[in-house]
Amino acid sequence: MNDNVRLRRITVVAALAVAIVVPLFISNFYQFEASEIAVLAILVLSLVVITGYVGQISFCQYSFAAIGAFTVGSLVGGHHWSFWLALVVAVAFSSVVGILVGIPALRLSGLFLAILTVAVALFFDRFLLAAGTWDSFSGGLNPWRVGRPSFFGIGLDGPYAYYAFTLGAFAVMAWLVWNLRIGKTGRVLRAIRGSEIAASMIGIDVTLWKLAAFGLSAGLAGLAGGLLAAGVGGVSPPSFDFLHSIQIAALATVMGVESIASAAAGALALVAVPEILTHTPISADYFPLFVGGVLIVQLVFAPQGAVPKMVEDIKHLLARGRHGEPDATTDEISAKVTV
Amino acid sequence: MSLLEIHGVSVRFGGVRALSDVSFRVNRGEIFGLVGPNGAGKTTLFNAVTGVVRPTTGRITFDEHEIGHLKPHKRARLGIGRTFQNLQLFGAMTVLENLMLPVDAFARRGLVSDAFRLPMASFEERRANERARAMLHFLRLDGIDGLRANDLPVGIQRRVELARALCLRPKLLLLDEPASGLDARETAELAEALPMIRERFGTTMLLVDHDMALVMRVCDHITVLDFGEVISSGPPDVIRSDPRVIKAYLGEEVA
Repeated sequence: MNDNVRLRRITVVAALAVAIVVPLFISNFYQFEASEIAVLAILVLSLVVITGYVGQISFCQYSFAAIGAFTVGSLVGGHHWSFWLALVVAVAFSSVVGILVGIPALRLSGLFLAILTVAVALFFDRFLLAAGTWDSFSGGLNPWRVGRPSFFGIGLDGPYAYYAFTLGAFAVMAWLVWNLRIGKTGRVLRAIRGSEIAASMIGIDVTLWKLAAFGLSAGLAGLAGGLLAAGVGGVSPPSFDFLHSIQIAALATVMGVESIASAAAGALALVAVPEILTHTPISADYFPLFVGGVLIVQLVFAPQGAVPKMVEDIKHLLARGRHGEPDATTDEISAKVTV
Repeated sequence: MSLLEIHGVSVRFGGVRALSDVSFRVNRGEIFGLVGPNGAGKTTLFNAVTGVVRPTTGRITFDEHEIGHLKPHKRARLGIGRTFQNLQLFGAMTVLENLMLPVDAFARRGLVSDAFRLPMASFEERRANERARAMLHFLRLDGIDGLRANDLPVGIQRRVELARALCLRPKLLLLDEPASGLDARETAELAEALPMIRERFGTTMLLVDHDMALVMRVCDHITVLDFGEVISSGPPDVIRSDPRVIKAYLGEEVA
């Protein structure tokens, strides 16, 4: 096993141990916030797939989450469905909407794609979820109430129980996304990000894979939305405000949108920083300012993102400790391949 | 029997005629040269064959299939491989990953088998890995599999791109100025490699290059384009002495 793999495994196990043990010793309120972190981590993970792997920018991940949340809300709160069945439908429905958004996005990239996703977000936020448009979905002026489900007979009513469940959900999703990343899927998606023309010239169906990535990303966001609904105990439109989508995209960028670890780090910052700010004279209202500030700092000093930068620095330190070989120069490469 | 047939293909971009009524046939096993001054329409023709641009009129037949309506990836799967004038390697990925991708494109595995690490996924992963390594070995690129494509010198990048195209196991390989950016020694190596590739894989090749010495040396048949039209066609010896070709290249009246 090489050093990188060992280092990664140790980090993952240590992080999971901390994530399981530490919340046992905090108050119920913070346990609830911990479950929000785990759910938001799934939402940031959805950005890792679409932005990190395929390079497609999205400012409407909260809209996909909203589809998940309101599907669960209206089915459980309005039609008394089982939560689990509603969650499955929610994920499927958000995937379908993700693919539909993906179709016009196929021919767009960069700024124009960003504008399209902003338009989608505003359409949801200002129209679809507004009272009077589709009340049987959005709940109109009365927020849907969603009770905590039980998981194979284990009640998830307690804050720690729900936290443990959401942490497990994030861990499973992160594992699945990691498997995609190290397999054919990861290679194909990164190739498409590199050059769509070159990818199609070697037989890759760019359209199909991009739509699949949109569907997968939106499905993950929908899952996060459904879990958010059960966590809070209900759904109402303001929690899916457009600005949340911007914030989450900004934080994912700050942390480094290609890395799964940054999904966890981004979600942690998204909940912990406003919480810390409320205990200072500057209040959580200044959180967006904080996000903007660190975004500028990151873009200047660590354009690859904070988490990948940290990993690089650590690897560098370890390599120096062992007198690791410097990288090969161009001449050495030429010498290597010329017989 | 011909592998690729171009029948009266024209491509127009707005008012510009990039290709007008171009016709030729590439026989199986042939190394076919396509030459002409800058702007003669060579790259446009490659784009028409690979599906990047749609011909305004005309038909393109490959391996007895009419391919004019097919999307680029379908044509690649039928067996049309390509290298680019301006290199199109996936720069942030390793050499090995670049070469595994054409094998991946054919593999029967997708999101689900990858996500759950189904046996099929690891089987296909091994197969792609082996095919990529075999091709690296064939083109004498062993030892650089783990390096990022962007970190390689241009000459090596060209060879890696050739290796990637061959990993598709193409019946027809389109080479768009494969010698550009190469030094004399590397060009000589390329001239040796092309017949070797044909011998090993039976690949038919359509070669565009400005290096006339290279084209004359490796090609069995040459077609000359000028201002989007075919002005001459034949074996290297005939082309060499064709007054129309000399005129197109030198731009003066030849007695």
